Amino acid sequence: MINLAYKDIAHSYLKFIITAMGVGMLLGIVMIMIGVYRGMIIDAQVLLDDVGADLWIVQENTLGPFAESSRIHEDLKNTLKTHPDIVKTAALTFLNLQIQTPGGVMKRVYCIGYNPFGDIVPVNPKRLVAGRGLQKSHYEIVVSHKLGFKIKDTIKLGRNIYTVVGITKGVVSSGGDPAVFVSLKDSQELQFLYSNARIRNDRARGLKVDADAHLVNTVVAKTSPSSDSKKIAEEIKRWKHLNAFTVQEEREILTKNVIETASKQIGMFTIILIVVSTIIIALIIYTMTLEKIKEISIMKLIGLPNIMIIKMIMQETIILGILAFIFGNLFAHLIWDKFPKRVVLENGDAFMLFAIILIASILASLFGVYKALKADPLAAIGG
Amino acid sequence: MKNEIGIKVENLTKIYGTGENAVHVLENASLEVKKGEFAALVAPSGAGKTTLLMMLGCVIEPTSGKIWLGEELVWDEDHWSISDTKKIRREKIGFIFQAHYLIPFLNVIENIKLVPLVNGWSETKAEKKAMELLEYFDIKDKREAMPSELSGGQNQRVAIARALSNEPQIILADEPTAALDMERAVKVIKLLRKIVEEQNVAIIMVTHDERLLPYCDKILSIQNRKVVTTTPDQHLIV
Repeated sequence: MINLAYKDIAHSYLKFIITAMGVGMLLGIVMIMIGVYRGMIIDAQVLLDDVGADLWIVQENTLGPFAESSRIHEDLKNTLKTHPDIVKTAALTFLNLQIQTPGGVMKRVYCIGYNPFGDIVPVNPKRLVAGRGLQKSHYEIVVSHKLGFKIKDTIKLGRNIYTVVGITKGVVSSGGDPAVFVSLKDSQELQFLYSNARIRNDRARGLKVDADAHLVNTVVAKTSPSSDSKKIAEEIKRWKHLNAFTVQEEREILTKNVIETASKQIGMFTIILIVVSTIIIALIIYTMTLEKIKEISIMKLIGLPNIMIIKMIMQETIILGILAFIFGNLFAHLIWDKFPKRVVLENGDAFMLFAIILIASILASLFGVYKALKADPLAAIGG
Repeated sequence: MKNEIGIKVENLTKIYGTGENAVHVLENASLEVKKGEFAALVAPSGAGKTTLLMMLGCVIEPTSGKIWLGEELVWDEDHWSISDTKKIRREKIGFIFQAHYLIPFLNVIENIKLVPLVNGWSETKAEKKAMELLEYFDIKDKREAMPSELSGGQNQRVAIARALSNEPQIILADEPTAALDMERAVKVIKLLRKIVEEQNVAIIMVTHDERLLPYCDKILSIQNRKVVTTTPDQHLIV
């Protein structure tokens, strides 16, 4: 039996392929949007995972250090170590900085300060693509590959010049800004030490200039494997002036409090794009059927059964859906790494989107089928 | 053979619309064309030629009357007496139109084979029949060509071959020569004449061109919403 769908596609394959490419690009954009959403969730948790701590201790009544600002004393790391179930601790600072890239562009970065000789080192060796982690207490910096620096390049931050000793890939803040790492001492100076002009000004005003740099934004801790992190966190909270979160609670704060609005926005865009794509695909299939309405009338006039006509429309719809899915995937995989923020393309999302689009396309093709079934055979001869 | 009924109509009436807006196209029209007969259907524009042809082709429902295709009663007063009008069309009727109306995305041989294959013919049988027809119409070398690659005359021959591919009992032709010059029109009519004689089918052809009437066996003309049957000689004298 002659396959009408195949014959029709073969007859105008260029038009069909271009249509499939167009629909595919639309699907590709939807995939990218889903990928951006996934990327935001992952970005938000990169640091949590790389630090690998079980407890995050911050200033009382705050959701720090990511959702709210938090300042606590650095020596808390030593106090915490007295707890029998805490085995490792580290003080960390987080601040946003502007760095001039080698291309001369100012870029916002997320600066993480840690003690290179401490118990917990947040630079994940797996993410190091060049160089090494910090090995000195001062003036070394580990940067993100997105900034374009090379090993041994120098960067002026605050009053000092830092040398690039390592380059990481994939470490970002919850907002997607590339991360850089400096020593805790350097970061405290960057965050808490005023400029000379400011100090002179404060002295002239009679203000007490107290450059107490021994503050940090959080102290993280690793607990013994047999211990209950939640219970320890409750104990720390009772010490006053402190708040403590387990890693699960911190994860929840990050995904709910920090990126919830942004992720909802992306989610809304994705839903709208899926709906728009479905409508466009429906219109394309409907238009494809309308373009063939004369041929369909001829088929009906010479006695072809309706089922053959329905089969032709359905098969073309499914082939269009499959081709569009392939093109969409190719398109998404070609451009995903060109986006400034992390885009995570997951097979599960792609197949879910394919199923949604295919079902929507088949439903949309029912309009075409309805139009075909209603086509008057006499229309073929202008009757 | 020539006395077998090809198509027969009794008291056929077709009214479009109802009440004051009702348009009476045909009223109690009767006609008969036997197998092996070539009938021309003539009437002024708007008299209902195509409507009659499409009722005979089981495309338009009559208002009342009876239609037989061969021995089979297909329309009985107010309903089709067959379950599937499309099946009747693809098994018993061949259509030829003013334009070729070939399916543009099928090549010549696929256009010809399509209806026989839908009728359940084997691929071999349909292919053999299509090749016979292509040879008969002298377009064998165009078997793989698309309709868009053929001339108007070649496409019309393919369309006639398609109309014959299902070995129909009746051929309904709606002004098949209207778009052709006289020389080509005569060629097509002679071809239809040949088909009538060799394949014992009944042909009803709508035409406006009286120069073609001498090639027909009988003339069906619509006068006062009825069908009057005459011979070509009688018609031309009238």
